[in-house]
Amino acid sequence: MTAAIELIGITKRFPGVIANDDVNLTVEKGEIHAICGENGAGKSTLMKILYGMQPADEGRMLVNGEEVNFSTPNDAIDRGIGMVHQHFMLADQLTVLENIILGAEPTNGGVIKFKEAEAHLAKVAADYGLTIDPNDMIESLEVGERQRVEIIKVLYRGAEILILDEPTAVLVPQEVEALFDNMRELKAAGSTIIFIDHKLDEVLEISDSITVLRHGKTVASMPNEGVTAHDLAELMVGSELPTPETSESTVTSTVALDVREVTVADEDGRNVVENINFQIHKGEILGIAGVEGNGQSELIDAIIGTADIRQGAMSLLGTDISNMSVRKRRELGIAYVPEDRHVEGLMLDAPLWENAALGHQTQSPYGSRWLINRDGARTQTELIKEEFDVRTPNIDVSAHALSGGNQQKLIIGRELTSNPSLLIAAHPTRGIDVGAQAAVWEQIRTARANGLATLLISADLDELIGLSDTIVVMLRGRLVARLAPEDVTPRDLGAYMTGAATQNSDEAA
Amino acid sequence: MSMEKWNNIPAWIRWPIYALLGILLLTIVQGVSDVDRLTKVSTSREMLRWAVPIFLAGLGGLFSERAGVVNIGLEGMLILGMWFGAWGSINYGPWIGLLIGIGGGAIGGLLHAVATVTFNVDHIISGVAINILAPAITRYLSDEVWGSPTTSPATSTPDVYDLPILGGGTVAGWESPDLLLEVTNLELPFISDVAGLLRGLVTNLHFVSLLAILLVPFTSWLIWRTRFGLRLRISGENPSAGEAQGINIIFYKYAGVIISGGLAGLGGAFISTELSGLFQGGNSAGRGFIGLAALIFGNWRPGGVLVGALLFGYVFGLDLKDLDGTASHALLLVNTVVLGAVAIWAATKNRVADTVLAAILAVGAFVWWLSADAVPGWWSNILPYVLVLLVLVFFAQRLRMPKALGQPYAKGGR
Ligand SMILES: Nc1ncnc2c1ncn2[C@@H]1O[C@H](COP(=O)(O)OP(=O)(O)OP(=O)(O)O)[C@@H](O)[C@H]1O
Ligand SMILES: [Mg+2]
Repeated sequence: MTAAIELIGITKRFPGVIANDDVNLTVEKGEIHAICGENGAGKSTLMKILYGMQPADEGRMLVNGEEVNFSTPNDAIDRGIGMVHQHFMLADQLTVLENIILGAEPTNGGVIKFKEAEAHLAKVAADYGLTIDPNDMIESLEVGERQRVEIIKVLYRGAEILILDEPTAVLVPQEVEALFDNMRELKAAGSTIIFIDHKLDEVLEISDSITVLRHGKTVASMPNEGVTAHDLAELMVGSELPTPETSESTVTSTVALDVREVTVADEDGRNVVENINFQIHKGEILGIAGVEGNGQSELIDAIIGTADIRQGAMSLLGTDISNMSVRKRRELGIAYVPEDRHVEGLMLDAPLWENAALGHQTQSPYGSRWLINRDGARTQTELIKEEFDVRTPNIDVSAHALSGGNQQKLIIGRELTSNPSLLIAAHPTRGIDVGAQAAVWEQIRTARANGLATLLISADLDELIGLSDTIVVMLRGRLVARLAPEDVTPRDLGAYMTGAATQNSDEAA
Repeated sequence: MSMEKWNNIPAWIRWPIYALLGILLLTIVQGVSDVDRLTKVSTSREMLRWAVPIFLAGLGGLFSERAGVVNIGLEGMLILGMWFGAWGSINYGPWIGLLIGIGGGAIGGLLHAVATVTFNVDHIISGVAINILAPAITRYLSDEVWGSPTTSPATSTPDVYDLPILGGGTVAGWESPDLLLEVTNLELPFISDVAGLLRGLVTNLHFVSLLAILLVPFTSWLIWRTRFGLRLRISGENPSAGEAQGINIIFYKYAGVIISGGLAGLGGAFISTELSGLFQGGNSAGRGFIGLAALIFGNWRPGGVLVGALLFGYVFGLDLKDLDGTASHALLLVNTVVLGAVAIWAATKNRVADTVLAAILAVGAFVWWLSADAVPGWWSNILPYVLVLLVLVFFAQRLRMPKALGQPYAKGGR
């Protein structure tokens, strides 16, 4: 049988880096093929080449045994290849249906036949057991639903070979399960799937075969049978599989962040965060568990200062910050790792050293009240690059030349090296490879031992349980449970998050 | 009735109701302040004459900005349309004149597209450059062709129409009744005011005015129902997403910006051939810029642009015959009421700062109205921009500009 995809000797160079160095990849028809590798190993680049988004410098590609030469995604689409990107490619202000039919609109003299499109969409969705409302605006959807739109988009065009670049990074466990069910359905219906993932247990659960990339080279390609997470970690980064366990408690009695009866309203005046109370002590990590969209983002916005609070008060180390400007709060020592690195974390077109100064531009060593200190900023950036292992040829490249995981590492480095007293970390290890993940956990633990107070939000429940000293659960804008990480499993946590289990409210408050 | 139910009523019913409420307000204000110009036929006729070029420029802006390209060069494109329209009309008659005017504006659009899309020049810089270039080029051309840098000979002007029955137009030799005139003459409160204003919209009609009104449903259909429209929108919302779906973003950006220029050009040709009857430098009177304001006011929607253009056209149209400034002065009272309504609305949304600001402005407008009999001429010139600023201040969260508006786009970037 001919393979669905065969890549032979693919090489791709960017200024200063070889993203793919003579890579070979064979994907059989009807299998789920996982691609693993550390951040910057060249996974996304390889997939973009296969999808016709970037030309390879060298190498050949065979699709179903035929030699192909793609110069635009259209060529790949014509061959039945579809791709769901690491960073979503959806237009927020368009409907689900519009996003999906884009580029393959059924028309009659240029007029879109929406009825027909909707019927076809319903059929595709039903065939693969995916549900979605075609007339919703994308901006009103949760991440998991957006992902489903991305997948349907690809299926709508009749793709038989699907590329999923880190599809699980933004999903909560229930959503991951749903995605895997969908993937199994797709496989049963005859599709071939290539997918990228940093979570090794997930890779082992879903894939038929696995290819590991390292420094742009293929280091192994094997069937799933008998492979352990340990083996994979070894192949990827040459080290042990890390676990996010905290050592003994470092919680002190000094309150760092005190949040009292805080209520936040959205633009329509509805309360999205209601009467929230909690304290984080120096040396404590407080984890907030919750399905996305239950007020976590708004709570963070309120603490950072990008949203106003309607009621209540907040103080940091005794200073009232309720009405302080964002900059003042930052100067007071609030560090922030945002949930979407492209929206709030980086200036994608600016060089790395400017990105490193972002948010700390008024503080030494990056600058002073009025001026940026170029040399100071550059030296500090070099330091972050070394300490946090940001893989880049130099600090003058623009942020979007970094791989997704390396962008994340840069942000973590920037925030942790600023000597903060409070760290607000939303999904700090999202998209980071296992090796780097261990390093980030280690950095957070060290900072914690030195008295850092941390507010942690993560969709990765193992991370949440492993790192936190205390876990609270947020549901519909309220704190509904307060749990000790020692005696809670991801399963229990999931039950609290969805409201299936409850705790009486005194305990939670 | 709750806000939600109200919003579920189709826009074509809601807007006429808003319009009637507005006229009711004008009638009341007129009664209080003893001016009669607010609801006269001549006022609405002037309003339309001002509004049409503003609308066409604004609609042009819509095409360009929906494709993600900021078009501050509309004023320049409108000026090109003015010159080429006049030239075409003098040499080939009014209809060809309009077409050549469209072409002139489209050339301006093409220039803007080449600069912003192909060479990634900053959109504002390119737009400003076109605004500086256009008057210079037309001056030069006028001098070459007509021997005077600022004026052309008279253009040939197309006929104007009255609509039958409503406005007493003639159909196949039959002179229909002039219904609205009769109602106006009855001098009924409010009803006659509505009829008077309406009559200005159906008599002495220019072909381009009719066309402009028809462009509203047409553009809505084009933008939301056709493949072209969908692809145009993705170019302004998320071009990389479009590219990943195999769409030639560059093509749609070019198309949007060139259409934009063509529409602004039509607006310009309308000014020179139909309104002034000659090309005269400066006759554009900033209507390209105001078109841009109408675009923002109208939330990047064709119907909204029309409403904005009519509103701004009203302010200018009123001002034109208002030599003593009393009618514009009466408008202050309208401002007071509208700002008061905004204050109440904001209060129901618990938006304290907005409520306070709107209330202060309302009181300010009222005090001004009380303390003076007339407003200076500059006031009505800046009023459209003041209105846009107010919309931005109070309704910014409701405005939905294209997400990737103004951003450079490079193929294959990530
Ligand atoms: N457009 C670009 N310009 C310059 N360098 C690039 C560009 N795209 C990728 N690179 C570089 O190529 C290398 C591979 O990047 P790629 O995105 O393929 O990594 P990845 O394996 O997907 O990593 P991650 O797991 O972090 O997403 C990185 O070193 C990155 O900096
Ligand atoms: Mg990647």
